[in-house]
Amino acid sequence: MNEFVQYLVNGLTIGSFLALIALGYSMVYGVVRLINFAHGDIFMIGAFAGFSVLTTIGVTGGMALPAVLAAVVIGALTTGVVGTGIARVAYTPLLKAPQLSLFIAAIGVSLALQEGVKVLTDARFKSYPNALDGGQILGGSVRVTYGQLVLVVLAVVLMAGLWFFITRTVTGTAMRALAMDRDAARLQGINVERLILMTFFIGSVLAGAAGVMYGLYYTQISFGMGFLIGLRAFTAAVLGGIGNLPGTMAAGIFIGLVQSFSAGYISSRWTDVIIFALLIGVLALRPTGLFGERVVERA
Amino acid sequence: MNLDSRLLRYSGWPVLILLTAVVGQFLDDYALTVAASIIIYAILGLGINIVVGYAGLLDLGFAAFYAIGAYVSGLLILKQGWNFWLTLPVAIAAAAIAGLIIGYPTLRLRSDYLAIVTLGFGEIIRITVINLEVTGGPNGLTGIPPVTIAGREFVTPVDFFYLVLVFFVIVLAVTGLLARSRLAYAWRAVRSDDRAAEAVGVPTRRVKLLAYVLGAAVGAVAGPLNAAQLGTVDPSNFTFLTSLFVLLVIIIGGMGSRPGVVVGAVVVVALPEVLRTVQDYRGLVFALLLIAIILVRPQGVWPARFRPLTLPEVAPAAERRTAKGRLLEITGLSRRFGGVTAVEDLDLTLDAGEVISVIGPNGAGKTTAFNCITGMIVPSAGTVAVNGSDVAGQAPHRVAAAGLARTFQNIRLFGDMTVAENVLIGRFARDRGLLRRLGAADLEAVRRCLDFVGLSDAATRSASALSYGERRRLEIARALAADPAVILLDEPAAGANPTEKRSLMELIAQIRALGIAVVLIEHDVALVMSVSDRVTVLEYGRTIAAGPPADIQEDQRVIAAYLGVPDDPETDLVAEVLG
Repeated sequence: MNEFVQYLVNGLTIGSFLALIALGYSMVYGVVRLINFAHGDIFMIGAFAGFSVLTTIGVTGGMALPAVLAAVVIGALTTGVVGTGIARVAYTPLLKAPQLSLFIAAIGVSLALQEGVKVLTDARFKSYPNALDGGQILGGSVRVTYGQLVLVVLAVVLMAGLWFFITRTVTGTAMRALAMDRDAARLQGINVERLILMTFFIGSVLAGAAGVMYGLYYTQISFGMGFLIGLRAFTAAVLGGIGNLPGTMAAGIFIGLVQSFSAGYISSRWTDVIIFALLIGVLALRPTGLFGERVVERA
Repeated sequence: MNLDSRLLRYSGWPVLILLTAVVGQFLDDYALTVAASIIIYAILGLGINIVVGYAGLLDLGFAAFYAIGAYVSGLLILKQGWNFWLTLPVAIAAAAIAGLIIGYPTLRLRSDYLAIVTLGFGEIIRITVINLEVTGGPNGLTGIPPVTIAGREFVTPVDFFYLVLVFFVIVLAVTGLLARSRLAYAWRAVRSDDRAAEAVGVPTRRVKLLAYVLGAAVGAVAGPLNAAQLGTVDPSNFTFLTSLFVLLVIIIGGMGSRPGVVVGAVVVVALPEVLRTVQDYRGLVFALLLIAIILVRPQGVWPARFRPLTLPEVAPAAERRTAKGRLLEITGLSRRFGGVTAVEDLDLTLDAGEVISVIGPNGAGKTTAFNCITGMIVPSAGTVAVNGSDVAGQAPHRVAAAGLARTFQNIRLFGDMTVAENVLIGRFARDRGLLRRLGAADLEAVRRCLDFVGLSDAATRSASALSYGERRRLEIARALAADPAVILLDEPAAGANPTEKRSLMELIAQIRALGIAVVLIEHDVALVMSVSDRVTVLEYGRTIAAGPPADIQEDQRVIAAYLGVPDDPETDLVAEVLG
């Protein structure tokens, strides 16, 4: 039983990162119908940006909440700028090209980011400062750390912020309109290009924040870390019904739980087999994802 | 086509292969090894070209089939002591079965979901072989013996190079046959618009599955070759990156283009070798080049060019089904969506050479009725008998095969195929044969139908380049290519000018003269009244009147449905507006 609760706690923590990343996939797909293959690598860039911040400040360990917040904010803004820049250079020129071209461009960007960071870091792992080492809320057999609490709260705050933005602001409403019909949105006077770039910005900000949080949690990062996490997050986005934000958040948590429980009860070596088998199984039965789909396919 | 151009056309491959064989004599061992790798990637490229290039099913896990080929062959050699040549058919069969397994559940998926499912499948295979002990875990299989023919071992790079070249020629020939088969046309139609393809008679599920199975089988050939080249089966050769590189082969070369596959394979394998001088930056340079290629030349270096159909010069006499009597009998057809009954208890009968129109205000259920009849949606109740056989609830391509052809309200042609090829796809309702070449009957039918609608001069033009009226007529030609008993025209006069409407009326008269029964859904009352034998009027899904045009024009309920009834607020509004 204790074991179960422990896996639950860990799964929720991982799931909150995954949900943040998955939201970026989902939003970008919603407005430009692109599986942004480089999104996992944006997440990786975020982790490295946060790493630079923390090492520059000189945090070594302990509970350094202000430093952590600074790292998350700067890391997120860095990826926001990088993600938007990439979209501007490599994606927007291809918006009218066949869908596949855009996707291939994203693959190219993904490779370029990985290889670039690989060169910069000499392909080495980096050890993250243990800046959330505030001890445990719950001791004993079930271990819940303050670090976990901080990370989950941060993730919830970000998701709530996104939800507020999407549903309560004019720009968010315009974004939803854009996701439904680009041409109609343009005819209503929405600056489509700018809004597309803003979508990339928000998605990248969330991924960057998740990258820093991941680094703080696992305390080890490398240039290749975005690939598998990106795939898992994408799986979450698909299961949640891509373009459907609440569904995506829920599915992110769900995948986190699957990851935690499968690693705990079976073996982490089989985690991805289980996740992908789940993905294939769900899509075979429900082609639009677990929570349905809001995006309408264009004729 | 004269002899010279034909010679030029067919001499490309033999010259290239001969040249490669000659050049092989002058290369050193390193270059030969790279060349063999290029050829292995070209084989993989020919495989994925079937799935992605022809059928348009994005596959991000193609390395799985490569891995299955390598592991099945390697395990049989090592554990069972089989000979390489014996393992080859088993490896190919195993990959084909894997293609079926991954293909089947993904048939209904959209292409981007498909991409991720195939990616997941590739990862499942990779992780599984790394985790299992039989497959040697992360070390893979070692000690694979070289290929032998009659006691001679193909060990040296030069021997191995010629061995894979022979394999390439065989695979090239097989894929060449496929590229000229009826299946290839079906694949292209499915890629362009799979719902339209299904509706005009292409068995889309089978066509897609065949793409997976044949693509996997072709790609699997590369596996045992890779194992023989390295002497090992190394799981790190079958990662997602491998899948990506195989996909890049056809993206760089050009989707659906076999010469492009060769270009792509050279770039994908040789370029990183050339970039060895910049060791650390190799991956980065490669990635940037990829982005550059896609930005500058999204269609690939050597885009696919399809040979135009060679149609017979003279249109053959119309081959007519000697259909007589009752061709279409619809009884009690209903369709409910939740609490809404879109179509209720529709009856419709149609004899040879008759024209029936279904009219009604917007939202009356005309299109739903049409979709139920053609199998696009399953009716909640009722029967649809075409030529005496009940087709209600069957897949659209079966309905089409039963003799019921259709056109679409919002024209759905295969935009990247020619006019003649569009008509050809209509033939699949009549003849579902896939794994054989186009027959004379196919080409004659295309010729006849194009002549019939007056589009013969446009035969080699792209369907997307036609004018609006021409596209309407092309849809009718495609429907006629099925030699249907019944043809359903969904608002064929929508958006047409008076001249086009007149020629449409003549066309309908000619179709009826062939003995084909015509169902017309139309808003243009004048057109309906002049061409129809009988008219059925729908309102809120119910049939409110049915009979000869003259009676319908007098029918009070019909007038009310269209113009409103006295004391109805809506009528007052009409009166106000009309002043």
